[in-house]
Amino acid sequence: MQTTNAVNGANYLTYQGRYKGLFGWIFSTDHKRIGLLYLYSIATMFAMGVMLGLAMKFELLAPGKTIMDAQTYNATFTVHGVIMIFMVVVPGLPAVFGNILMPIMIGAKDVAFPKLNLLSWWLYVLGVVLVLAALFFGPGSPDTGWTFYAPYSFKTGTNMLPAIFGAFVLGFSSILTGLNFLVTIHRLRCPGMKWTKLPLFVWTLYGTAWIQLLATPVVGITLVLVALERVFGVGIFDPALGGDPILYQHLFWIYSHPAVYIMILPAMGAISEIIPTFSQKHIFGYKAIIASTMAIAFVGYLVWGHHMYTAGMSGTAQYYFSLLTFIVAIPSAIKVFNWISTMYKGSINIQTPFYWAISFIFVFMIGGLSGLVLGSLATDVYVHDTAFVVAHFHYIVFGGTGFAFFAAMHYWFPKIFGRMYDKTWANVGWLIFFIGFMALYTPMFYLGMMGMPRRYYDYLEEFHGGNILSTFGSWVLATGLLIIVVNLIRSARTGAPADANPWHSKTLEWTVPSPPPVLNFDKEPVIGENEGPYNYD
Amino acid sequence: MKNQQLIKVLLLCVWVTCYVMPGFSQAVVNPAATDDDVEIGIVEHLDAYLPDSISLINEAGEQVWLADLIDKPTVLNFVYFRCPGICSPLMEGVADVMDRSDLIPGKDYQVLTISFDPGETIDLGVRKKNNYLNLMNNKEKVEEAKTGWKFFVSDSASIVRATNATGFKYKKNGNEYLHAASLTVLSPDGKITRYLNGITFLPFEWKMAMVEASKGQSGPTINKVLRFCFSYDPVGQTYVFNVTKISATIILFFAVILLLYLVLKPKRRLKSI
Repeated sequence: MQTTNAVNGANYLTYQGRYKGLFGWIFSTDHKRIGLLYLYSIATMFAMGVMLGLAMKFELLAPGKTIMDAQTYNATFTVHGVIMIFMVVVPGLPAVFGNILMPIMIGAKDVAFPKLNLLSWWLYVLGVVLVLAALFFGPGSPDTGWTFYAPYSFKTGTNMLPAIFGAFVLGFSSILTGLNFLVTIHRLRCPGMKWTKLPLFVWTLYGTAWIQLLATPVVGITLVLVALERVFGVGIFDPALGGDPILYQHLFWIYSHPAVYIMILPAMGAISEIIPTFSQKHIFGYKAIIASTMAIAFVGYLVWGHHMYTAGMSGTAQYYFSLLTFIVAIPSAIKVFNWISTMYKGSINIQTPFYWAISFIFVFMIGGLSGLVLGSLATDVYVHDTAFVVAHFHYIVFGGTGFAFFAAMHYWFPKIFGRMYDKTWANVGWLIFFIGFMALYTPMFYLGMMGMPRRYYDYLEEFHGGNILSTFGSWVLATGLLIIVVNLIRSARTGAPADANPWHSKTLEWTVPSPPPVLNFDKEPVIGENEGPYNYD
Repeated sequence: MKNQQLIKVLLLCVWVTCYVMPGFSQAVVNPAATDDDVEIGIVEHLDAYLPDSISLINEAGEQVWLADLIDKPTVLNFVYFRCPGICSPLMEGVADVMDRSDLIPGKDYQVLTISFDPGETIDLGVRKKNNYLNLMNNKEKVEEAKTGWKFFVSDSASIVRATNATGFKYKKNGNEYLHAASLTVLSPDGKITRYLNGITFLPFEWKMAMVEASKGQSGPTINKVLRFCFSYDPVGQTYVFNVTKISATIILFFAVILLLYLVLKPKRRLKSI
């Protein structure tokens, strides 16, 4: 094992390549630098999304107009959704941690197509610029909701086209990343790195890459069709031109439901790395987790109709979609059982990443179980389009992917930056964040059950109490977030130098110095017959 | 090199997808098409004359002859009033161009909107007319259009004669009709001088069509792209479903090729790092 500390040595952060300064980053084809570029871009967009979210919660502090009118609120939740989904959560873990760590975890020196990798990031930036252009130029911010539902998306007078085109470009970025990862995992594994020795994070990236490759073109094509309809009046979704708006919903959700698994699978992968490390025990049911990962990736394609129970479809189709939705819950539950079984009788070392991981399991379970309420036909009709859906969605996407992102950040931070963060402040930040999260979203389950619709800037007096608690929770969450971010930024600059393997983990990335050298390995690693990513015994 | 090829393939896919899909929802008018070739759409009969034997029911419920009405450049507009599809956007387009054009309806030209559904009554037509007049902003134009834009219904025999003469091909499908959005311009003596396709019209092309019609000159159809009004038909699998099927097939085809390539082609080892 190479245990040298390389903060001041030649590593990917300090390496002087063909270009200097900023150009040395934005034109770098090093997968680790590209991963960090993604991290900084995604963090910036996340900050914007959080601001918009806080503004929405502030508006809902009291009934009636508080700080914005109805149209502004519509635009706010639309832009919040577009930013958070297309620019933060979908690229999130694969683009950041997948890029930085996946090649090292399989013993490769880079991804299969480094230039394509850089192009993906540039496309991401282009997509972001296009969407932001929709906000600042033209006849007003998009106000259709992040789903761009027809017929709103071609009837509204607001600036839809740049936003749609931006989302399309972001989709392309996602496809290229997926393709790159697929080829890398198939082609560039080091000797001895069999499929059954791959770390689970890599397995989840593999499943995710297939979804990116197969599902993302659907939304790309759909958005092109909306653009064609808006510009040329081609009748596809507009009933006035002979189109069918329900078709739009089908096409959109054929992508967007698998996209939820693009978001959650790498999150599950990161948790599957963290739990064995901090339990110092072999992951329970390695192959079961792989099977459940691929099952989620496959069955996840077939459940999109559960978003549309009230939109109009045949009873038979509803039954099948409902049944499949219940089936897709099984692999997720398998994973939860595996994580808990891994901890059982392990030497648990409670550190910040572990706090994040166990709180992930907690909120993910609540999110998952509330998903079954929405997957059941009768109960879905009752809570459809209420705050209950918003609560479920945020428990899964923010509680799931968001918590896993912070878990991964605190887990791999010493590897990425070569420095350790202040653990006390990291724990304080986690605790405040967790309390804020629960206070923010739990009341929305109750509000939804009581009948409060989503996407309204106003509500009845009877919903006031729950909304006050929720808005208060948003402030607590923001405080926790601020502590976490400040601690991480400070530590990246001035933290204590970190060892190559501070958590005593077994995967390959911990065998190289922190931060890793430019070409990752001095000599190509070879995995022995008895070695494996979780062989702690 | 490999990257370049990959990018080329991706660009080709995007191009093919973008090119193929609009083709399912529109059709280009083929001027050489005959009546037998086209089931739904327009077969141009430029320079042909309308027969005299077309009778209509006007807004007052009186029977009139189409030939007697044509004494100035005339736009024939075939729709059916309860159409859920393209007829309303078409008539909105007509109202819009009448509003914006400096020609005076009723004096310089007239528009005759005729329902090709023999089951419809003129009451509905009168209500529709008021709706479309309300869309016009110019108050003077509204007054002029009251006399210059006339709505009619007719019997099935006259409808067949009129639509056959103009080459307007439509088909009944359940309770609705499949048809194209197009206007036929006639000279004061009843000769077909131009077809205006689409649902939006420029004041300039409108004026040109009327001026030429007043001289009896026929002109080529500028907008060759016809828009069709297909009703949604899940059993008959309309064009929209073909779009999704073809797209899905292309995506899955490339995915399978990629998987086979990755699995079957031997892994090339990097020499050293």
